[in-house]
Amino acid sequence: MEITVNGRPATVDAGPADTAVDLIRDDLGLTGTKLACGTGACGACTILVDGTPAAGCLTPGTALEGREVTTVEGLDGTHPVQRAFVAHDALQCGYCTPGFVVAAAAFTDRWRAEHGDVAPDRAQIARELSGHLCRCGAYESVLAAIAAACAGRHDTGDPAPARVEAWEKVTGRARYTTDVRLAGQLEGALIRSTLPHAQVGAVHVAGSKVVDLLPADRVVRYVGQPIAAVAAPTRAAALAAAASAEVAYTPLPAAVTTADAEKPGAPLVYESRAARKDAPRSNEAPLSPAKWTGNVRGPSAASWRGGTATKRIAAARESGDDRLVTATFTTASQSHTSMEPHACVARWDDRGELHLHLSTQAVGRVAAEVAKRWGLDAARVHIVADHVGGGFGAKVHVTSDLVAAVELARIHAAPVRVVLDRAAELTDGGSRPATRIELSLLADGAGNLAAMSLDSWGDAGTAIGANSAALGRYIYGNAPRQLRDFDVLTHQPPGAPFRGPGGPPLVWALEQAVDEMAQRCGEDPIALRRRWDGNPKRRALYDWAAALPAWTDRQPAGSPDGRFRRGVGVAATNWLYLLDPATEIELVVEQGVVVCRTTTQDIGTGSRSVIGDVVRTELGLPADRVRVELGRTGTVAGPASVASSATPSIGPAAIDAARRLRAALPAGPVVDALAAAEGLRVVGRRRRDKLGYVTPFPIGGLAIGRGFAGAVHLSEVEVDTRLATVRVTRVWCGVAAGHIYAERLARSQCEGGIIQGIGYALFEQRHVDPATGVVLTDNLDDYRIPGIGDTPEITVHFHQEGWDHVTGHGVGLGEISTVGVAASIGNAVAAATGWRPYDLPIRPDRLREGINR
Amino acid sequence: MTRPSTVDEVVDALSTAGGDLRAGGTDLLTRRRGPFVDLLGVPALRGVTWRPDGAARLGAMTTVAEVAADDRLRAAYPALPRAAAELATPQVRAAATVGGNLLQRNRCWYYRNAHFACHQTGGDTCPARAGVNLYSAVIDQGPCVAPHPSSLATVLLAYDATVEVTGRGTLALRDLYGDGSDPTRDHTLTEREVLLAVDLPAPTPGEQAAYQRVAARSSAEWPLVEAVARLVRSGPTITFAAVAAGGVARTPVRLPGVEAALVGRPATAETFRAAAAHATADCAPLSQTGYKVGLLRDTTLDVLERAGTP
Repeated sequence: MEITVNGRPATVDAGPADTAVDLIRDDLGLTGTKLACGTGACGACTILVDGTPAAGCLTPGTALEGREVTTVEGLDGTHPVQRAFVAHDALQCGYCTPGFVVAAAAFTDRWRAEHGDVAPDRAQIARELSGHLCRCGAYESVLAAIAAACAGRHDTGDPAPARVEAWEKVTGRARYTTDVRLAGQLEGALIRSTLPHAQVGAVHVAGSKVVDLLPADRVVRYVGQPIAAVAAPTRAAALAAAASAEVAYTPLPAAVTTADAEKPGAPLVYESRAARKDAPRSNEAPLSPAKWTGNVRGPSAASWRGGTATKRIAAARESGDDRLVTATFTTASQSHTSMEPHACVARWDDRGELHLHLSTQAVGRVAAEVAKRWGLDAARVHIVADHVGGGFGAKVHVTSDLVAAVELARIHAAPVRVVLDRAAELTDGGSRPATRIELSLLADGAGNLAAMSLDSWGDAGTAIGANSAALGRYIYGNAPRQLRDFDVLTHQPPGAPFRGPGGPPLVWALEQAVDEMAQRCGEDPIALRRRWDGNPKRRALYDWAAALPAWTDRQPAGSPDGRFRRGVGVAATNWLYLLDPATEIELVVEQGVVVCRTTTQDIGTGSRSVIGDVVRTELGLPADRVRVELGRTGTVAGPASVASSATPSIGPAAIDAARRLRAALPAGPVVDALAAAEGLRVVGRRRRDKLGYVTPFPIGGLAIGRGFAGAVHLSEVEVDTRLATVRVTRVWCGVAAGHIYAERLARSQCEGGIIQGIGYALFEQRHVDPATGVVLTDNLDDYRIPGIGDTPEITVHFHQEGWDHVTGHGVGLGEISTVGVAASIGNAVAAATGWRPYDLPIRPDRLREGINR
Repeated sequence: MTRPSTVDEVVDALSTAGGDLRAGGTDLLTRRRGPFVDLLGVPALRGVTWRPDGAARLGAMTTVAEVAADDRLRAAYPALPRAAAELATPQVRAAATVGGNLLQRNRCWYYRNAHFACHQTGGDTCPARAGVNLYSAVIDQGPCVAPHPSSLATVLLAYDATVEVTGRGTLALRDLYGDGSDPTRDHTLTEREVLLAVDLPAPTPGEQAAYQRVAARSSAEWPLVEAVARLVRSGPTITFAAVAAGGVARTPVRLPGVEAALVGRPATAETFRAAAAHATADCAPLSQTGYKVGLLRDTTLDVLERAGTP
């Protein structure tokens, strides 16, 4: 079959089941086009067919015959839209970017031909790009970029990218793990449990060698749990082999829902102490010990004068004190669903060393885990993660894709690639635990916080550690508080740490209760928070928020009548400051360029750019004299991209490294000095904070630093009370995280955090069939993440003072930017309608029921 | 795979080689891997043609994007391009066809998940009834409670459209879907019958129409409920009404009670409110679809108000 691809004729052999994206990626090797959802929902595989955007995963390969196909590679890096995406930082992890760029290019060309060089409005752009999803939430910048390109502002020039790898990502040159294809590479596929609880006997696949992925007790505890893996020369053949597997199950009774699991005599998820010890965790933080009662683990207590708190609350309940706010809040399970799925390519070389291409947010940590698991010296494990298509907490450890690829590569003596499909990703790729939180908040006669009681039941399937209540220790002063966390174990897929683990559920409950208290006390909600919250950095944010016209001009709560009602809500949050104190960065002068290396990775958060910006600024070098190489083992230690710890670890280390290099170079302009310093190498360290750390030694590579990052979110919503929909129209996000190392990227992080928070507030919910334990939302039609049309106008404000005790004067903000969003939306909906939402997400059915009650 | 270029060849291929008819493939390719009989190469099935009386005929392979962008269709049948423009995404609309949209399979997440056997896949139960049925039907027409997925069908039902089918001739759109009592299928065509075209009656002079779909997100989402209303007035009096809804039953449904409560009455807010209340006459909600009762009423009210306001 003859087609024209990017202006050149090509011959491909299209089978009836081949889709266009198969032909383009596999046959033609044009891997700029990504396959992310496989059902036409996300647009990552968008190509132009005779100039019109088409979803490559839904386009029959045969439909390309005789047509002109343009992929992102065909735009050549010269299209105004590509320049605009670079200039406006309209991307983060970059995995969805080629699809956006291709569709935006077609739209921009058509728009300008029809309308001339004028910017379309946001709604017009959103409508045209409604076939694209970006899990990082870079929509605000995408809107700006496309508007600017349409207005003719990027027809020429070579914009300096805020994100150093932006050009690679907008041209499709950036290579992700899913794009790797080694000589002789096989494709692996996983065999997964079809039962929620079973003892597994033999696994047989006719004609295939099988790798076992079961735990030691050979018990599967959720539908979708990996059992085994097989490999074949093509993905289709591997999938067919996996589908043909004969698995000998002995079914066991299951407790699929928390209601099932809490019943007396319920089937136990973990029958023994040994089995419990291997339970996966939905939290990175070390867990305090807790007792087990059936399927319930807890309470793990973090109380402060808990007895006093409960006594005061009981007395207030007895006396009918109206300054006692008591309510039950629930939150849904939120799936990470990074656009690049979990993926690994494994190869053993003939010296017995292991080479991995891996989609990971923790190159160093995973390398150590791999070395331990396979008994290798650390130096014999090589990981490459040049570009990583998102993580959000679910790509921190060794996962089944890696184990399968490594073991298959060993038994086949060939490289093996394992890539999860979207159904597996949405089933077993990680999720934020669902929670039920029972909260009581008591104020005294003066309107001060007198007591707090917070019991949180986390539902993270087979995982433990859904700590939410514990985080209630760190806000609103020192009033007595009882804080208890419970895990209710079920036969559902395990949760995983997700951006701000435990935070969003706590804040969803607490910040709505604080608003309720403000209403009872007849006080402005920001003023009450300012009074309760002694943190000077957050106080500065309250002052900023309280002065915003959107706040001062807002309608009184619940007052408006009529169909469309607007409301503004606020939420305050804090977050732990963590860092990896062992972080180092090495600088080597190579051919007049300063090359920066450390064992970290850029999952879209901008680590590469932070290091590049710091080194360039410190040394006064132009952009082309500094190169950052991340995502590889074989260099000095660096941080995992977790717990908002990467920037406060690498930023100071980069400063230190740059200063050491400056000192090691001869006097005079650095550019000139580099010419004579070939091979010069220095290593910069992350120097200790002045006041040291809360933790005497790092745990899991992380130290807890002194002080809390703070945020205040203000959200404005419009509620259509007739059709029961909520539109977030504007969001203001004030962040107190000290010095901002790379402002444009920090802004992008915050914008993305807001988008994910909107998803959490309004749309996202993992549904599981209660009878069978099967995840129903296993595709991106049914699992609803926000689209570009759901993007509010976003304003980000940085308060940069107050971190003088921290080396580099700044801390992380990836998590603080998202934790309070849903609560601010909840408060805004309450302000708009007079009805307070207690359950997440605020679905149309719930909103209807609530406002019509 | 067979790639015919005429309707005769299509019919021939179905009877000899067999396989699934593939139009745009936007639904089929997410469910099936072939063999296919490919309709992309049959030019006779594509495009909008007009009869002397002003009636339109939509070839089955006309794309949804073409319908959405057709100015003459917008003038003659205002609700149709509107619905076409709001469904799915630009990429899907560019590939999806009128025929494919009408004959696509439903979106029930039990039906589409290989772990379950249901009425539609050779089983004898409906797991949605006892399971998570938040997005299922609210009008209970039969054993299966998957709502019909076609927005175009909802609108075309309100336009009293007919379809031309090989071997069957002309079929009223409602007969294409039956009464929803057969749980095994989303339409009444057999595997060897080919939908060739959709015929709309000549436009109704003075018609005002409105279409509304309700979903949580701003776009690219299957509707919880959708409704269409076509009204004609003479002075203050409503002389003609056609109202249909989707997302609520196994088939798209006309709402005759609503229509009867409109015709002959003044186009006032009170009339619309009273008429919309009839929309829910057949509702029998499942455990989680109670909200669709009120939502169906209010969405109906919305389209009545918009179609009834000059």
